[in-house]
Amino acid sequence: MRFFDPHIHMTSRTTDDYQAMADAGVRAVIEPAFWLGQPRTTVGSFVDYFSTLVGWERFRASQFGISHYCAIGLNSKEANDEGLTREVLELLPLYALKEGVVAVGEIGYDEITDAEERAYQAQLEFALEHDMVVMVHSPHRDKKNGVLRSMDVAAEVGIPMGKLVIDHNNEETVQSVLDRGAWAAFTLYPHTKMGSQRMVELVKQYGPERMIVDSSADWGVSDPLAVPRTAALMLEQGVDPDWVEQTCWQNALEVYAQSGQIDVAALEQKPQVDQSQLFGDSSILRGQEPRVDAAVVN
Amino acid sequence: MTSTRAQMSTTTTHADLYSWLDAALGSHWAEAGAAWWTQALERVGGGLSGSAFGATLSVASRYAPRVDLDPGADALDRAHEILPGWNPERWDVLEATRARLLLARPDLEEDSFASDLETLCQHADEGELRAIYKSLALLPEAGRFSTRAAEGCRTNIVPVFESVACDTPFPFAHFDDLAWNQMLIKGLFIGAPLVRVVGLDRRLNPELARMALDLADERRSAGRPVQPELWMCLGTHGGQRALDSLQHELASDHTAGRRAAYLGLARAGHEGLPEPDHQLSGVHERTLAGDIGRRSFTLLED
Repeated sequence: MRFFDPHIHMTSRTTDDYQAMADAGVRAVIEPAFWLGQPRTTVGSFVDYFSTLVGWERFRASQFGISHYCAIGLNSKEANDEGLTREVLELLPLYALKEGVVAVGEIGYDEITDAEERAYQAQLEFALEHDMVVMVHSPHRDKKNGVLRSMDVAAEVGIPMGKLVIDHNNEETVQSVLDRGAWAAFTLYPHTKMGSQRMVELVKQYGPERMIVDSSADWGVSDPLAVPRTAALMLEQGVDPDWVEQTCWQNALEVYAQSGQIDVAALEQKPQVDQSQLFGDSSILRGQEPRVDAAVVN
Repeated sequence: MTSTRAQMSTTTTHADLYSWLDAALGSHWAEAGAAWWTQALERVGGGLSGSAFGATLSVASRYAPRVDLDPGADALDRAHEILPGWNPERWDVLEATRARLLLARPDLEEDSFASDLETLCQHADEGELRAIYKSLALLPEAGRFSTRAAEGCRTNIVPVFESVACDTPFPFAHFDDLAWNQMLIKGLFIGAPLVRVVGLDRRLNPELARMALDLADERRSAGRPVQPELWMCLGTHGGQRALDSLQHELASDHTAGRRAAYLGLARAGHEGLPEPDHQLSGVHERTLAGDIGRRSFTLLED
């Protein structure tokens, strides 16, 4: 099977992860901008980070036959540094309109402070002005309230619900997101947030429409193979293969292709890897034999 | 080198470059609908700069596709006439669009443009970097940008490296020896096609030959094959050490390497080339025809 992981932080992952993902059938990923696990202290850190997302990381992914897209935005935690926020919001037009940027994200709330709300609103307005998809991070604490409020504010700004993805949902929030007409994404973490078994139950209960599975794998304990693993569990437990395809590939493609930044026809083709064309052995291969014309196994 | 620079300072050349790009892009914009394009050119010509110019360069990707520009043989000949060594054969429509937008700036010769260009590079994605680096040779007083171009050679993203190093007269005309030699050795490391480095044969030098021979020794110590294109970096400069290393390669079982070493010996002016066996007959014919320039190092594999 083929998989689309529409929320994963690949800058924190190794080439072993890329290889395992490619072997497991992950063909495309979206890397939303977020924090580093600790707050940045200067806007230059954002410049380099955003540049990595549209540059080196995309190139790294391509070496494994994986199409790498990204979302650009100021995350909610760092929105609480208001001086920095002003500077980062000025950077937004320089990066969010680049090739392969499929959404503004991940943005939203962490503690639901006024500063977070101002940054969220400003970025929603930017998304509206440029007709972009929005990827929303829902908070860990006071989650249900945060999800409702992020949808309310997006609606007030005028974001069409068909262009709004609310991520990190759980059993308590999914119904309200689906009711509003937004897309409901689920982050599958080994120990916290959602587990694969709970995801199987949710798909059985709510069906596949506007439901999206992602790994959100990052620098923490997380699983870059969460999407293929969950798909396997769904199939094992009798979920209709079409539903698995929808939740682990098609829905993500549909919502983010609205950006016009995904060449859907190219993505549908079986990827070919030719590391010798593009890779430096001073960089990543470091002396391994390049893989040439090896079809990515999936 | 100086002739390129002198030629680029004439406004005639710039008028020619504009018409070349306009002609090459003409059919695309006729088909795609020229509303955005006309407006963008007008705004840039009217003095758009800073991040507003950067945003225009970025959003060009939403209007111009990454498909081959395919200018045709006559246009390629004309490109070489306008700017010797410039070969836009592999340009795509998006790159040409971005190049034309750069050239539309009214302040091309001023510091404001140079400073904007540096900021653009700092914020650029891969596609933008490719377009900017491919455009450098087309700019007036292009030598101003040699530090930026040398930075471009430090990338490990091969398509970006090629945009600086290949099919453009820029490095030949504007790099100092250190940047020039580093570019070629780096090209070997990342597998970039050195046969497409303009002026390579005319700027071979003893230091480059030494660096290449050191690299050959390193590869052999590591039990790895020597890159065949390494042997095009010697010319007549390596002395006895080069001849020994080339003979060593010739005695190997690496077909492409043996062929390249044979060409390397011919380039070194070595008297008494060994009798060619079946693997070497093709390159032997090339040497007889005097075809031992950089382009002779193509198609060395079976």
